[in-house]
Amino acid sequence: MTIMWHLEGGQSCPQPPFRRLFLALALILPAVWAQQPAADPDALLKHAVALHQSGDLEGAIRAYREYLAAQPDSLQARSNLGAALARAGRYDEAIAEYDRALSKSPDNPALLLNLGLAYYKTGRPAEAAARFERAASLAPQFRDQVTLLLASCYNSLGKYQQAIALLAPLEKEKSADPAFNYLYGTALIGDGQSASGAAAIDRILSQGDSAEARLLRGTLKLRAHDHDGALADLEKAIALNARLPGAHARLGELLLAMREIDRARTAFEQELALDPDEFVSNLNLGVLGKQDQDYVESRRYFERALKARPNDPGVRYQLAILDLATGNADQARKALEALIAETPDFAEAHATLAAVYYRLARSADGDRERAIAQKLMDQRDAAGTGARAR
Amino acid sequence: MRRWLVFGAWWLVLSGWWLVSSAGEPEPTRPHFTDIASKSNFAYRTDNNFTGRKYFPQTMCGGVAAFDFDNDGRMDLFFTNGAKLPELEKTDPRFYNCLLRNRGDGTFEDVTARAGLLGKDLGFSFGVAAGDYDNDGFEDLFVCNAGPNVLYHNNGDGTFTDVTARSGIVKPKDVLSVAAAWFDYDNDGKLDLIVSNYTVWTPRTDKICAANGREYYCHPSVYTPVAHRLYHNLGNGRFEDVTESSGFGKELGKGMGVAIADFNGDGYMDVFVANDTMRNFLFINQKNGTFKESAFEWGVAYDESGKAGSSMGADAKDYNNDGWPDLFYNNLKGEIWGLYRNMGGKFFDYASGVSRVSRLSARSSGWSNGFVDYNNDGWKDLYSSNGDIDNMGDTSRQHDTMFENVDGKEFRDVSGLLGADFSHAGFQRGSAFVDLNNDGFEDLVVTSLDEKPRILLNSADNGNHWLLVNTIGRRSNRDGVGAALKLTTASGRTLYNHVTTSDGFMSSSDKRVHFGLGPEKAIASLEIHWPSGIVQTLKKPRADQILTVKEP
Repeated sequence: MTIMWHLEGGQSCPQPPFRRLFLALALILPAVWAQQPAADPDALLKHAVALHQSGDLEGAIRAYREYLAAQPDSLQARSNLGAALARAGRYDEAIAEYDRALSKSPDNPALLLNLGLAYYKTGRPAEAAARFERAASLAPQFRDQVTLLLASCYNSLGKYQQAIALLAPLEKEKSADPAFNYLYGTALIGDGQSASGAAAIDRILSQGDSAEARLLRGTLKLRAHDHDGALADLEKAIALNARLPGAHARLGELLLAMREIDRARTAFEQELALDPDEFVSNLNLGVLGKQDQDYVESRRYFERALKARPNDPGVRYQLAILDLATGNADQARKALEALIAETPDFAEAHATLAAVYYRLARSADGDRERAIAQKLMDQRDAAGTGARAR
Repeated sequence: MRRWLVFGAWWLVLSGWWLVSSAGEPEPTRPHFTDIASKSNFAYRTDNNFTGRKYFPQTMCGGVAAFDFDNDGRMDLFFTNGAKLPELEKTDPRFYNCLLRNRGDGTFEDVTARAGLLGKDLGFSFGVAAGDYDNDGFEDLFVCNAGPNVLYHNNGDGTFTDVTARSGIVKPKDVLSVAAAWFDYDNDGKLDLIVSNYTVWTPRTDKICAANGREYYCHPSVYTPVAHRLYHNLGNGRFEDVTESSGFGKELGKGMGVAIADFNGDGYMDVFVANDTMRNFLFINQKNGTFKESAFEWGVAYDESGKAGSSMGADAKDYNNDGWPDLFYNNLKGEIWGLYRNMGGKFFDYASGVSRVSRLSARSSGWSNGFVDYNNDGWKDLYSSNGDIDNMGDTSRQHDTMFENVDGKEFRDVSGLLGADFSHAGFQRGSAFVDLNNDGFEDLVVTSLDEKPRILLNSADNGNHWLLVNTIGRRSNRDGVGAALKLTTASGRTLYNHVTTSDGFMSSSDKRVHFGLGPEKAIASLEIHWPSGIVQTLKKPRADQILTVKEP
């Protein structure tokens, strides 16, 4: 496999259809705790739960904290506090409370699920996916609840094959579910399965026009180098829902392919206005910043992209290039060596490492990396000889 | 109302003051370019025979050579042209190549037929290289084609003879040759020939690429790479194909522009070939008849991100006046033109970012290009002829660009300040730098698909001084190709250049070596390092002249 960082995409999470799911879970789980009989009936805790259930989140948070000051080991109160904080949109605080609760009960699937949701809401799909996977393995009854969330995370991480593996068994059962079709279509198109992706789009469109369907169809056309068609669909997607996660980013990618640099930059910035951690936009703005010699800003974008996709080889490669451009050849060498150790098929990384070795007068190492890069690029060229536009 | 007008005027004045202040110094006076082609009567238009069907070679049409074929001291022009497709024949005079004789009064005479250069049998022609391969004092021509390439010998009487058959210059069947360059790789005093080849192509093997009922020009990945070919000049009009023995045959590419320079300062000429969507090649001369492809080692195989672009034109000159030839290639819109700074003959440093070329170039699809000191300030600027590869977008037609060199460190886009004729939007392709009226300022000749070429005369009106050096070799090749020149002005400023006719894409420029001197009127010395090894120093040559220098 050769890394093609600039073509990778994925939808930011959460997707609109999942907001409802998230709210339901966030409400359900504290209710579950509240119904459990308390060893020592505690009026304060009951009061906090009541406030929580009535929607007075700030009051509930205060009450939970008051209770926890006296009973710091109460798992129930800690978890409910996390849920209240999450409902109030204070995700980082919620994550901290869930983590504290999990330190006492590391295999608690409900806590893991809620923590995963909090990460999911803050656009950290890698952390979210890890919690969802563990929750599902500990409590199979949660599997259905987390499947779509997990698939969404995989899509965000560019792990399309894992998303497909998760969703394919549900295709028949959920063929009329637009949220399912959207996730499945995203994964299929991301994995290059155009025909199956188009079928998923058709299933969404059979229920009427939608921004999600337009986004997927625009993505499909972009992959097929049908730039005019892609532009029409993506602009329609944004007209239907200007806040649809990923739509501006995909438009930016298209505009880059069309060499409309300024418009692409604007599209990426619009995406980041909706979600500051969106991967594709941060990566591309980092690359554009690097080209403009704005290395500080470029590094900031790359680091944000890494937040969305930790350890992403494409971003790490760009950071190494940045080191090279700023005169840190040895730092670039170390970064590239580590990158290649983990992703040995990354042709451009081998090529750049060869150049770095030559620069450092390590000719034998340079020759080795050059040969590897050449072989990988030849293989890629041989695989990519289909008719297409420039 | 009047108050508002007065206020407006003050505002403008203040704004102007602010702009000047913020730039640090007033804007310099710049020459501009005027197209004088319409003053001449000639039929040539660049005709790629685009009639709806998109054949692969149609994007590359309109090579230019600027050379003095009749030795009257005035530079003449030669243009290559396309052919009827799929017949691959110049079935009609509109496809003929064209030789224009410079009358010296701002007009040109079409003397193609008289010279025997119509090229009726050549098929689709691409690049052209001018050089005196037989050292008889008359510039000859090599023309690249889809189909057999052709070597024209200048008979010295205004006519040319096709001597390809007896020259021994042959190439593998159906190889499409794009560009060529004359240079003396073994310093034996005879010009050798490097030919940049793209692929194996015939109308029968042409690929059709389309989506949603629209045909587009195929991505180069659908075509196979081939070896560039090196021909060793044996003398007596004979050449030997040394592609394999020299090492060129080991590397398969999709060749476009060729740049010739002594990159490592060892006295032997090296070769850079810009490859389209593949890594570029840098063939370093091993001084024993062989070359080592060293683009990786020198850092010019790929761009900064380890990616191959659609490299098109190429040129090698010293843009920062440090004595080492740097490298410039252009490519398509959205990619980054490559500017590489030669670091003491050891490797190249990627300079597109630090010089602002990356920011300036992303919007243009470049074809022919080169370093040219258009304003004679002593700093070589970056020129590119531009236009999309296809005709499918609103911004496909593009204007040329001139990035002005600011103290050898960075560049600024002055394209919009060089006159309406310079800013002509089209599908520009070939280009040559040439002083057509011998006024010491570089003029430009540019072809555009389906148009007459533009012959852009430099207004030469900024008061800067210059020197044009016409080298004549004796032990070295007669053109002096490869001679390295160092000029020192009276103030001690040093400027560098070398003799080559190869630059850009499919084109061949004025062989005379040009120096802009800025405001300086006096030259302290001119040092010439001839390919033979002879070093010649001229003390205090006069500025503002065309100086002919014979190798001692």
